[in-house]
Amino acid sequence: MRENYLAKWLNNELTEEELEAFKATAEYAQYQKIKETTDKLSPPEFNMEQAWLQLNGQRMQEQAPKVITLSPFKKFLRVAAVAAVLIVGSYFYLGTLNTKVTTQLAERTELTLPDNSEIILNADSKITYNKKNWDNERNVELEGEAFFKVAKGKKFTVATDLGDVAVLGTQFNVQQRDDYFKVTCFEGLVQVSYKDQILKLPAGHSFAVVNGTITKQSSTATQPSWMQNESTFNSVPLKYVLAEFERQYDFKVETKNVDTEQLFTGTFSNSDFNVALESISTPLQLKYTIGTLNVVFYAEDTP
Amino acid sequence: MDNVCEEQQYNTIFKTNSKTVFNYIYYKFGNEEKANDAVQEAFVKLWENCNKVTPDKAKSYLFTVANNLYLNVIKAEKVRLKHADKHRNESTNESPEFLLEEQQFKEKLENALDALPQNQRTTFLLNRIDGKKYAEIAELEGVSVKAIEKRMHLALKSLRDKIDGI
Repeated sequence: MRENYLAKWLNNELTEEELEAFKATAEYAQYQKIKETTDKLSPPEFNMEQAWLQLNGQRMQEQAPKVITLSPFKKFLRVAAVAAVLIVGSYFYLGTLNTKVTTQLAERTELTLPDNSEIILNADSKITYNKKNWDNERNVELEGEAFFKVAKGKKFTVATDLGDVAVLGTQFNVQQRDDYFKVTCFEGLVQVSYKDQILKLPAGHSFAVVNGTITKQSSTATQPSWMQNESTFNSVPLKYVLAEFERQYDFKVETKNVDTEQLFTGTFSNSDFNVALESISTPLQLKYTIGTLNVVFYAEDTP
Repeated sequence: MDNVCEEQQYNTIFKTNSKTVFNYIYYKFGNEEKANDAVQEAFVKLWENCNKVTPDKAKSYLFTVANNLYLNVIKAEKVRLKHADKHRNESTNESPEFLLEEQQFKEKLENALDALPQNQRTTFLLNRIDGKKYAEIAELEGVSVKAIEKRMHLALKSLRDKIDGI
């Protein structure tokens, strides 16, 4: 018999002679029965209307991430479709906004950027950056003080009101308080631009601007002291020291007959209030009184 | 006018082909959920590419997408087709023995169908249940009509062998 004659038979393509010959075979009855029984079979119902509705839901948010369809949960799907539209919408909307992280007085926080760079934010500081555009532009705006551990990659810029710091991959601290601006590099190399000056700062060095005067210092520290719960100052006017004290303890500081422009070199604890007061007052030969929400420093010879 | 992006045209393509896509994937895997998902996937893709696919190519495009969707599904997965019972009860002169025999035969046939190679089963059922012509199936599967005939022939032959317990 012809090649694929069963296929020809199913398709009614056999000639009369061929058909006769086939019918004469012993298998014919079985084949006939299989054919008849198969023709009575039918696949599960396909709900075209439902599929069309579901499809239109998907086409409406065609650009959005795919919704995984779980056909048995028809109600769930409708809810999910609405939820997906809302989530996707808000995702795109929020994506265009900048991310802001703020610390209150006496608070500190850590954050990880999209490229795994880390920022530790000291008290009363604010960081702003754009998560969405992060891969193209590693740009952070800083008000206050923060320590940066930058993952290797494209240029990373920290912009402050007083100056910008640009780096490739390193660890450094940026402090900008009122008109006090200090950058300390702990690893690698950072580039500081202040007004029209551009300066490269290698590890172990810091750059400070106090009252418009630039000073450069070197240190052997591997981390900013505030990360060990201390605030360290190297020839810094007392007013900045007291301002930092206020930030760390959320406690108002006042002075009486004290020259707040005098320079202070030393460290105070950020965790022990009384020790911190001693650390500031003793070297400067000051006395202090503690009120309910404030502390007053005064010269020893003040009546 | 002849553009798949036209709502009218798109709707027509959906009405004409969605059930076949569903059945096609169902015959392949014996899984309704997969079949429903394939319909969604194929038509969403068609919509996304409605500018690039002409109406006469739309059908084979749909089947290519549906097919590719499950390329990585393990072929060995056991298929268990469920068939709606279309058995007509109009004739009253069937003896209980006859009905029982019929039922048993049907079960044997279903088992034999489940055991067929995927492409034979799909082709065979598209032809027998959906009444698709060999040429049409050949187009969907992207093979020659001759290859489809071969599948039909082998499918029917193995069904009989299986039912006879050879």
